[in-house]
Amino acid sequence: MVNELSGAPNVALRDDELQRIVERLGRQPTPVELHAFDAQWSEHCSYKSSRHHLARLPTTGAGVVLGPGEDAGAIHLGTYGGERYAVVVAHESHNHPSQIVPFEGAATGIGGIVRDVLCMGAEVIAVADPLRLGRNAHARHVARGVVDGIGAYGNAIGVPNLAGDVYFNEGFDDNCLVNVVALGIVKESDLIHSFAPKGAEGWSIVLVGKATDPSGFGGASFSSLTLDAQESELNKGAVQVPDPFLKNVLMRASYRVFSLLRERKIGAAFKDLGAGGIMGCSAEISAHGRYGAEINLDAVNVAVDNMAPEVIAVGETQERLLWILPPDAATEVVRIYNDEFSLPEVAYNARAVVIGRLTSERRYLLRYRGGVVMDVDIEFLTGKIRDELPYTELIRHAGAAPELAAVDVETLFPRVLSHRDVASREPLYRRYDAVVRGCTVLPRGAADAGVLAPVPGSRLGVALAVAGNPRYGRIDAAYAAEHAVVEAMRRVVAVGARPIGLTDCLNFGNPRKPGQYGEFAAAIDGLERAATELDLPFVSGNVSLYNESTDGRAVPASAIVACIGAVEDVATIVTPGLKEPGSPLLWVGSRELAIGGSVLAELLAMEGTLPEISYAAERAAVGIIHDAIARGVLRACRVVTDGGMLTALARLAFDALLRGRNIGAEIDFGNPLCEAGGFICEVSDESLIDITGALRIGETVAGSQLVVNGVRFDIPDLFEVWSRPLAEIYP
Amino acid sequence: MSGRIAVPVFPGTNSEDETVRLLRDCGGDAELVHWSRAHTLASYDAYVLSGGFAYEDRIRAGAVAAHDRIMDYVIEGAQAGKLVFGICNGAQILLEAGLVPGTGPIRRPTAAFAKNAPEPHFVCRHVYLKLEIEPSRCAITAALPPLALVPAWAAHAEGRLAASPENLEQIAAGGHLAFVYAHADGRVDDAAVPNGSALHCAGLVNRAGNVLAIMPHPERDGWNFNHLDRSADDDVLAPSGGAALFRSFVEAASS
Repeated sequence: MVNELSGAPNVALRDDELQRIVERLGRQPTPVELHAFDAQWSEHCSYKSSRHHLARLPTTGAGVVLGPGEDAGAIHLGTYGGERYAVVVAHESHNHPSQIVPFEGAATGIGGIVRDVLCMGAEVIAVADPLRLGRNAHARHVARGVVDGIGAYGNAIGVPNLAGDVYFNEGFDDNCLVNVVALGIVKESDLIHSFAPKGAEGWSIVLVGKATDPSGFGGASFSSLTLDAQESELNKGAVQVPDPFLKNVLMRASYRVFSLLRERKIGAAFKDLGAGGIMGCSAEISAHGRYGAEINLDAVNVAVDNMAPEVIAVGETQERLLWILPPDAATEVVRIYNDEFSLPEVAYNARAVVIGRLTSERRYLLRYRGGVVMDVDIEFLTGKIRDELPYTELIRHAGAAPELAAVDVETLFPRVLSHRDVASREPLYRRYDAVVRGCTVLPRGAADAGVLAPVPGSRLGVALAVAGNPRYGRIDAAYAAEHAVVEAMRRVVAVGARPIGLTDCLNFGNPRKPGQYGEFAAAIDGLERAATELDLPFVSGNVSLYNESTDGRAVPASAIVACIGAVEDVATIVTPGLKEPGSPLLWVGSRELAIGGSVLAELLAMEGTLPEISYAAERAAVGIIHDAIARGVLRACRVVTDGGMLTALARLAFDALLRGRNIGAEIDFGNPLCEAGGFICEVSDESLIDITGALRIGETVAGSQLVVNGVRFDIPDLFEVWSRPLAEIYP
Repeated sequence: MSGRIAVPVFPGTNSEDETVRLLRDCGGDAELVHWSRAHTLASYDAYVLSGGFAYEDRIRAGAVAAHDRIMDYVIEGAQAGKLVFGICNGAQILLEAGLVPGTGPIRRPTAAFAKNAPEPHFVCRHVYLKLEIEPSRCAITAALPPLALVPAWAAHAEGRLAASPENLEQIAAGGHLAFVYAHADGRVDDAAVPNGSALHCAGLVNRAGNVLAIMPHPERDGWNFNHLDRSADDDVLAPSGGAALFRSFVEAASS
């Protein structure tokens, strides 16, 4: 059917969708039109089977400057020098490309997310990389390539890697997850939108960046297929090629353009070229401003001659952005990119070029070599299509298995510490630049969240943490999603920040399989519940479906959440590690003896109930932490997460050891390897704060001993056990 | 001398903003000079080459940038006795330009900052620079105390000093080894070195003492808010730590 209609193979449009197009056009679509609809109506661009579920997520609140809908969201951070500042945040996946070509796939993930933040008029200040990797031999190759790609790109453009996490699980053997988050900082008055402003009829459409080449043709529909079907797409070069060197220059040139627009008070729109290439970007930026567009594909700077017009129009060559500008400003902007920043000398035929104009008529028209190759109603092309697929109601995990009151800590704790989901991530993240830009307050790995001071001269800080535990995802998709919100929030609180907003990337299986689609729907329930209870808005997000193994099994349900925190004064940030012998150690927040989904449960091959999430307890715990910071009694703090309370305590001791302080602890607690959540806190004086609901588990001691229920560990020995395992993958 | 400091920007530079910011916070009259304005460089009194990946580190880190027009002005200035301070990629460029150790002709390097070993990849790690020369041996370090320890971040894939035995001998004997890597307590051993550098080398100075090249970034641990061990009483916005070396540079550039 597809071939008959178009002569073009490998489009993912279904027959009924093609039929709609033919009926609406009153003729067969041209090859350009066919590929344009294929991209625009793909799951990747249209969110056709996910949007009506996503609509349930809370996205509003006093701090929301810009909710979901544009290339990135924005949240109010604070005021400095009479100016209101916002954090711009975007979150995406690059799973399928990373599985096939790990280095390039992951690098272009960073490249794309950075453009999403840049095009809001923001300065890019940080990236983060939640990774979910497999355990077989090929997965090891993927694990290395992905990290090298993220490092190579982020390091070169000069954006610090502030946060991230990694889990290794067989469920990701055939389909890794590479999620990427980027943060930017912008004065709220300087925000640039992803749609053409009012009164922009006749304004210029300016394409800027790398010369368009045949790479990345079919990318949008590629990522909406399962990996099996993608094998055949490989010949088409559907994966893009990263160029961080060009991006470095593009970013700096764009910052220069931002200041020109500010100085002269020129209106503009700016948007990243992602899925659907020139066509997708120009159609959306025009349609969302209620315009049409006329574009001349002959004007596009290309890398090779004689490309088919559909490749120029829809191909997803990296490192490109699109401006909408008044014609005289367009001339000046083109000069900045091409002459001042010499783009054509930085990469072959890279440049800024005027390729068309906005029209009041709501058509989307492409010309090529004297003919019209696309002429469609722009609303029909970009309008919201909907695909409500059936799904199975998820059965929630009951797990009434008996709990363990006590365990053999002496044997088990070293095994927990050296578990692949607990061991030190340093061998991985030391390949990332954590401190470029000179704004880093807490670098990656130093604490539960990364912190920056993003506004020079100001005390304002921004914290970032990510979460999403696939061990929970395998057991209960809704619980895992809910827990991801709670844990990301806790991490931001643990460093002394106030949580202000969330982003999510939902990585799930095949929406055409009701069971797998049911996990997706259930996860949204979980996110909605947690965000509503904690009063945190989602300001941006992304959906990645069709994440399946070769035998058709979905990856562990993975709602991956990032939490952004605000800090009024970075002087109040909790610095890493135990500080003083003789300090009380408190467990604040939930501390059940539930082992379901824990590392301990995996080591013992046991099942168990999942730790209960109590929002009243959660809010109370956050109150205690904030109060303890305000009164200056909180000396150190870490979240209880993978590896349990004892791991959190050991890491506080490791953090001290790394800074030359030999401080240990003596504690007593039933099963210290439960991952019930909450915070382990070292305080100077517990009498100064209301610790109702907190439990005193022991105190810090001089020397390098950790004594747990009478069992004695040498902290430097534990540090060795914890430090080494990942060096095997990342030598 | 008015002490105007230029921080030139090559295509691919990425640490220019924080470098200028710390120079200014240390009292320096510093500004960025974009490559399109390279012709203005002669009018400055001192140069700081900042970190990044100039020209994508093609061939070898710094190799292409060393032949850029910007470097014509920097080399001319260095030969006229102006201060030149290179950090990370800036240090790589100075080495490739032959300005440090300066034991051979211009643009004919006698040593290289080669691929890290034994970990042949980018490494981001907190380190200490230990002053290995008399402070007055190099104009840029003159205001530091003897054996000064300067906190900094190593963040590079190519920072291992490599040279022939004869050239290494010249570096050591000629007093070119300005900084070595050290632990927080000042001890120097292989474990303190993030990249396998010969002689534990973290920085080199030329014979005249006006050109200094260091691999780690003091400007990334240059304010109190950067320090993981700061006390609650410190003014978080004040320059400190790595700023000591920047202050010493600014003092020399202003004298």
